[in-house]
Amino acid sequence: MTSASLPGAEETTMSQKLKETVTPAFDRRSFFKALGAGAAVAATPAMVTPAAAVDPGKEETKARYQESEHVKNYYRVNRY
Amino acid sequence: MARMKFLCDADRCIECNACVTACKNENEVPWGINRRRVVTINDGKPGERSISMACMHCTDAPCMAVCPVDCFYNTADGVVLHNKDLCIGCGYCFYACPFGAPQYPKVGNFGSRGKMDKCTYCSGGPEVDLSPAEFQKYGSNRLAEGKLPLCAEMCSTKSLLAGDGEIIAQIYKERVLKRGYGSGAWGWQTAYKETIAI
Repeated sequence: MTSASLPGAEETTMSQKLKETVTPAFDRRSFFKALGAGAAVAATPAMVTPAAAVDPGKEETKARYQESEHVKNYYRVNRY
Repeated sequence: MARMKFLCDADRCIECNACVTACKNENEVPWGINRRRVVTINDGKPGERSISMACMHCTDAPCMAVCPVDCFYNTADGVVLHNKDLCIGCGYCFYACPFGAPQYPKVGNFGSRGKMDKCTYCSGGPEVDLSPAEFQKYGSNRLAEGKLPLCAEMCSTKSLLAGDGEIIAQIYKERVLKRGYGSGAWGWQTAYKETIAI
């Protein structure tokens, strides 16, 4: 059996023919392809900077605990 | 350098919840959030134990390890604090914490958690010490005032200890040596005879 005798083979050729004749210069697919490429270019920063964790700084991480009279008194009463 | 720690002497805790109330009042913690809570094991049964739990300010904190925005930081005192301006409320820290310390206000739309809130060891946050902004976001900064967390200072039975880890561990050791532990403690045989031993 040849491909031409297959059922539907004629339709395929027909649709191919139709595509060839109807396809415009700038169809829907190529429009979205161009749009996506444009968006990707726009999203790329001019200079890629390395990601860095936030450094809380010395002032935030300094020691606040003081062995004040208040704290000493707390330790004393907790020994009872 | 002193490392700040909490230690709850479970033999002394009477589940009065004064620590919970003191924390909420001192830090003006909003509705629905408890930075500290009292957990009772074997409630109503002989051998019942209560323990006051909050953020334990872990040395190698799992919340800090999992945070995707690195909002946690450790102070020189060993206190684990976080920056609410960076927090995205993802909830990873809640799943990572073995103590259930991180809490969420759940006030956002569409079920969002909002900024995480947890015990700050009464030492505020990244804002300027004792500033109104710090108080509004994180509560009071008693450590900067030369005091200790109010939950521990308020404890009527002196069950909840806070302060320099080495000092409070020493206090606890002295207590255990003096009173014994569990069924070996003073008064245990009077209360329970020999029916319960732990």
